[in-house]
Amino acid sequence: MSYEVFIALRYLSASRKRAHVALISTISVLGLGVGVAALVISLALLSGFQDRIRAQMAIRSPHVVVLPERGDRLADPERVRQALVALPGVLSVEPLVEGRGWLSTESGRTPVPVRYRNVSEGPLRLAGDGVPPARLSAAAASRLGVATGSVLRVLSSRTRLSPIGPIPIAVLVRVVEIRRGSALEKAADIEVPEATARMLGGLATGAQAYEARLADPEAAGLAARTLAGRLPAGYRVRTWRELNAPLSFALRLEKAVIFATVALVIVVAALNIVSNIALLVVEKKRDLGVLISLGARPGSLAKIYLVLGGLIGAVGTAAGVAVGVVASVLLDRFRAVPLPPDVYLMTHVPFAVHPREVVLVTLFALMTAIAAAVLPAKAASRLAPGEAVRLSR
Amino acid sequence: MLAIKAENLSKTYAGEGAPVTVFSNLSFELPVGVFAAVMGPSGVGKSTLLHLLGGIDNADTGRVEVFGALLGGLPPRERARFRNDRIGFVFQFHHLLPEFTAEENVAFPHRIAGLPAAEARRRAAELLERVGLRERRDHRPRALSGGEQQRVAIARALARGPGLLLADEPTGNLDADSAGTVFGLLEELHRERGMTTVLVTHNPDLASRCDTIYLMSREGIAPAPGSSGGNRTDP
Repeated sequence: MSYEVFIALRYLSASRKRAHVALISTISVLGLGVGVAALVISLALLSGFQDRIRAQMAIRSPHVVVLPERGDRLADPERVRQALVALPGVLSVEPLVEGRGWLSTESGRTPVPVRYRNVSEGPLRLAGDGVPPARLSAAAASRLGVATGSVLRVLSSRTRLSPIGPIPIAVLVRVVEIRRGSALEKAADIEVPEATARMLGGLATGAQAYEARLADPEAAGLAARTLAGRLPAGYRVRTWRELNAPLSFALRLEKAVIFATVALVIVVAALNIVSNIALLVVEKKRDLGVLISLGARPGSLAKIYLVLGGLIGAVGTAAGVAVGVVASVLLDRFRAVPLPPDVYLMTHVPFAVHPREVVLVTLFALMTAIAAAVLPAKAASRLAPGEAVRLSR
Repeated sequence: MLAIKAENLSKTYAGEGAPVTVFSNLSFELPVGVFAAVMGPSGVGKSTLLHLLGGIDNADTGRVEVFGALLGGLPPRERARFRNDRIGFVFQFHHLLPEFTAEENVAFPHRIAGLPAAEARRRAAELLERVGLRERRDHRPRALSGGEQQRVAIARALARGPGLLLADEPTGNLDADSAGTVFGLLEELHRERGMTTVLVTHNPDLASRCDTIYLMSREGIAPAPGSSGGNRTDP
């Protein structure tokens, strides 16, 4: 241990015996601890929500999508399908057939604009009466006032030729499932079997795009790069992260803004450290002069106070991290903050502690504490030792 | 050979009012091995002179050489190392670091020099034994008497075996008995170690026991009438 650290440690431990220094040191440590705890809890709260949103993204979005560079359908869908099937870790490969239309009840009540798309038939139980099954979004169900078992009419925006001219394509479907969504989700959509979607879209063969799901969604980036190398020009490959890029960006921005805002508490706490260290510099002015007379370099005096700042920072940060992590874990485990499930799709506020974020907060708090000590440490290094010794009689 | 060669030193402090000139064009030389006393009225700059000679303060003009090294010409790091190795300071008030034990205080010059803590403490313990404070080595300064505090301060000043000891009224704050003990110790160590010692004192009895006496006034510094003027007088 260098003598600078030795002195800093002794100053810190001895400061407990001097009421005014002890008070300011305690305020510095507590201030920093509160700031760090607030930041850890805030980030855990955001991470809790964002983890669930990202999980939903990974569940609801295809992990890799191949789209045509131009036009509305793939030039060689079979080649695209084979390229996707050849990817490692592929769970399913499905063509995409989608379009827009109107949805109404069988009796023809006011139609609702709707987006339809195909879905693999696995999840949809086939109705016994030959009417194609459909999964309806909660928003559409609520607007039409229908429930599971209802028969609906889907009117496509496309037309087909008939002896009397072009007429809209209409298909009857039976609602076999209503997809629960947030009350804030207003888009009306309906998922139907591929054959039904092809009929509505007037697309007998081919596909507008191909979608693949992977065993590991995190491998989507690598899969997309592999795929882009295997396919000729004229195709675009997108991952689920790219498809949700605006939302991902919004989530990252939200976290960055919260970090910057709550981190101000740490910055304010650091101002206490400035006054704490400055007080110690003034109080120990004579000691500094003596150390210089013994051969200490001015830089060593600065180091003593930087170490002190670091020690105060370390104690405050450790306390703050401990409180923040424990509080976040307990708040999550005991579901301490309930939520209306019909609005938020979850019963309580989730808290998720990410080690990487805790490390980030720790480093930020430590660096801030040390930075706070820089100014008084510089003052210590500029001290005129002769004056310090002369005036301190 | 000269231990100290100071030429044309001037020093002015910027006070709250008008600047205060402590001295100007002061020159002073001292051969190696001399135990010199500096006497003079308060305020003539005796302490300031010691600070300039020890390199902990800078003169406005002039130059100071200690053992041939021009202090003002040394870069800060070298100057600090020179002070650590070659110059010892004893102040009127012991100026021990209150949070540290006697042994830790005496070990500081070694720690600053980069010695490992254990070795520094071993050497400090030896020196404390030499000044008769072996049993008090684990005591903090406030648990020591004034005389003991000053003996610890002397041990600290001599820790690195300096060639020059600058003592600024080391007995000025002690009772007569303690002052005698401390001065006796300084004398012994001076002879024992072959140092050059500059002692600022107001005590004529103690000054008379030094090899030479310098009188300092507003006009400058000069050997006292009848003093040997820097030529060493062996005991």
